[in-house]
Amino acid sequence: MFDFSFLRVYNGTTMISQEKLRILTESAKYDVSCSSSGSERKNKAGLGNGYVAGCCHSFTPDGRCISLLKILLSNDCIYDCRYCPNRASTDVERATATPDEICELTIDFYKRNYIEGLFLSSAVTKNPDYTMEQLLLTVKKLRTEYNFHGYIHLKGIPKADEALNKEAALYADRMSYNVEFPSEKSLKLLAPQKNKQSLLLPMKTLTAERAQFREEKKKGFIKGHFLPAGQTTQMIIGASPEPDGQVLKLSQALYRKMDLKRVYYSSYVPVVQDSLLPQKEVGQLREHRLYQADWLLRFYGFSVDEIVEENENLSLEFDPKCAWALRNMHLFPVEINRAPLEMLLRVPGIGGKNAHKILEARRYTTLTFEDLIKMKIALKRAKHFITCNGKYAGAKNEFAVRGLLAAAEQSDSAEQLSLFPAFFGDTFPPVSERFLLRSSKANALTALTGQF
Amino acid sequence: MMYFFDGTVNGFLTAFVQAFLDTNALLSSRVSQLPLGQEPITVTTDEKLAARAEQRLCAFDRNAKKDLSALLRSGEEDAEQAAFAYFKLLATKKRPVSRMFSEEAVFRATEILKRIGLEIHRFHGFIRFTECASGALYAPFSPDNDICDLLLPHFKARFPNYPFVLHDVKRKKAAVYDGQNVFVAPLDKADILLSADEENWQTLWKQYYTSVNIPSRERLKQMRGYMPARYWQFMPEKN
Ligand code: SF4
Repeated sequence: MFDFSFLRVYNGTTMISQEKLRILTESAKYDVSCSSSGSERKNKAGLGNGYVAGCCHSFTPDGRCISLLKILLSNDCIYDCRYCPNRASTDVERATATPDEICELTIDFYKRNYIEGLFLSSAVTKNPDYTMEQLLLTVKKLRTEYNFHGYIHLKGIPKADEALNKEAALYADRMSYNVEFPSEKSLKLLAPQKNKQSLLLPMKTLTAERAQFREEKKKGFIKGHFLPAGQTTQMIIGASPEPDGQVLKLSQALYRKMDLKRVYYSSYVPVVQDSLLPQKEVGQLREHRLYQADWLLRFYGFSVDEIVEENENLSLEFDPKCAWALRNMHLFPVEINRAPLEMLLRVPGIGGKNAHKILEARRYTTLTFEDLIKMKIALKRAKHFITCNGKYAGAKNEFAVRGLLAAAEQSDSAEQLSLFPAFFGDTFPPVSERFLLRSSKANALTALTGQF
Repeated sequence: MMYFFDGTVNGFLTAFVQAFLDTNALLSSRVSQLPLGQEPITVTTDEKLAARAEQRLCAFDRNAKKDLSALLRSGEEDAEQAAFAYFKLLATKKRPVSRMFSEEAVFRATEILKRIGLEIHRFHGFIRFTECASGALYAPFSPDNDICDLLLPHFKARFPNYPFVLHDVKRKKAAVYDGQNVFVAPLDKADILLSADEENWQTLWKQYYTSVNIPSRERLKQMRGYMPARYWQFMPEKN
């Protein structure tokens, strides 16, 4: 059959209606993953390229970054996940866009520099295979017909045919399957049509395929891309009873075993009434603490066991690094002029950037507290854990340290919440690759733990 | 004494040499900073002297030239003075000083460079193009630092098929990509004819911006921190 699709390309007539855009955006907005980093896609002849560091194009009044056009292809779902506003049994406005509507929207937003690319997802319409086919069709069109080389994050549909997933991976920069809950029990209860297997299997397959693809590309056997920005996932926090320790154990396993780039934590927003779900929004402090702990796992050389017990929550009173230091007072104070990087990174109040600044500066001179102040290194917390050229300027005993740290936490908790880059994804990475200090393979978890 | 120069790299270097031994030297190219009732020394740019100074500074630190031209792009009040202090330190120490963070001069110069870098990064995101009837893209903006030409490589790589204009309305100049070459040209006011669909796309963008927000989680302070209000003027979603 003759392909007439060229008649629809770039003619401006497939402009999506404002109504449809509203519905499909509102249905997608609770998904927190908004990062656009990690792709180095080069522009050949068309429109756009990747931006390795990621890029925010706007910020909404809720303080979140707009990087990608985050939208559903359809919100008309046959599944009935209890927590989801689009579930089959609710009465909401339904809409479905055509692949061309999404393509045009992406192109026209992109060329006005509104967005960095597309984050496309969909409710399960008709059946998983059909839905995945539509998603695949959209990204394929966008790359091949519309010549779009900007960022594409595609959310995979659980239970769809493996071949469809693999083909989609050739066009998308990043794919994600959300594990949703840290235990299979909660998943069964709250997302009855999904199961652990349907979420983990495609992830595993894609991880393996990606590794193989990269291997062969290195040897020069094949060209092209296969998820250059890898995979991510998301967990909903607070809709189910699992403690932070269990959540982070799973994250650690996903980072180490599945080579995931990010795990996102999304504190549960009760948009639907359901007897199985809490009616209260989880405090954002909990989400914030999880991101801080996640940061320690990925960039500061910590492992979960050091941060929190599996059956416990993170301390809300102290940030995870402070809490760890308070439990390990015997390791402190450390001498700022001699401590190795690994240890500097573990001093409360000293981040990756400042640790490296200290390393640089101490090559030229023996650092004093005055020098640290001149370097604008905040000492409010750090001073209790360091000596400068033998001098100690912190509180006299552990009890006093505790009190002062708690006060410090209180006084800037509001500010800190707003400064922490959780919502950037990795868009403004405060620590770059060179700070990456993963723990050794030896103490890596040997398997995906417990439930999952 | 105040040394008043023309704002160029060579002007700065000339002033730098003249002011070097003056312990109370103030360097500026901004009329607004001229002290009342005090006669400034007006520095006449001496290309040869400047070239020699540059050579010496670069011999101590090969990044000196790059750092200097970057520092002079800053919109900070004290940028030129900070550059003076920084290069004076370099000339005194006679070796790279850029990592001596406990030196006030190094700290401040680094700070200024970082701000410029941050603003460039921000505008990679905050630039808003409007589509003209011809298909060309036009983006007016008003950056704190003189950076319009520094945005060219990014957008040229991204939109190789679209001619575009990045118009710094405050400095009345524009960085241009005509589809083949990039250049900078003076531009006071641009006369543009919008494409037929431009307004519709802007409306859709505003709709998207409204819909993607979660009103129950309002954090205006955070929004303003990341996207300062002075940048909003040219963003359709904020107007
Ligand atoms: S599959 Fe579940 S979570 Fe996804 S749209 Fe349908 S009901 Fe919502």
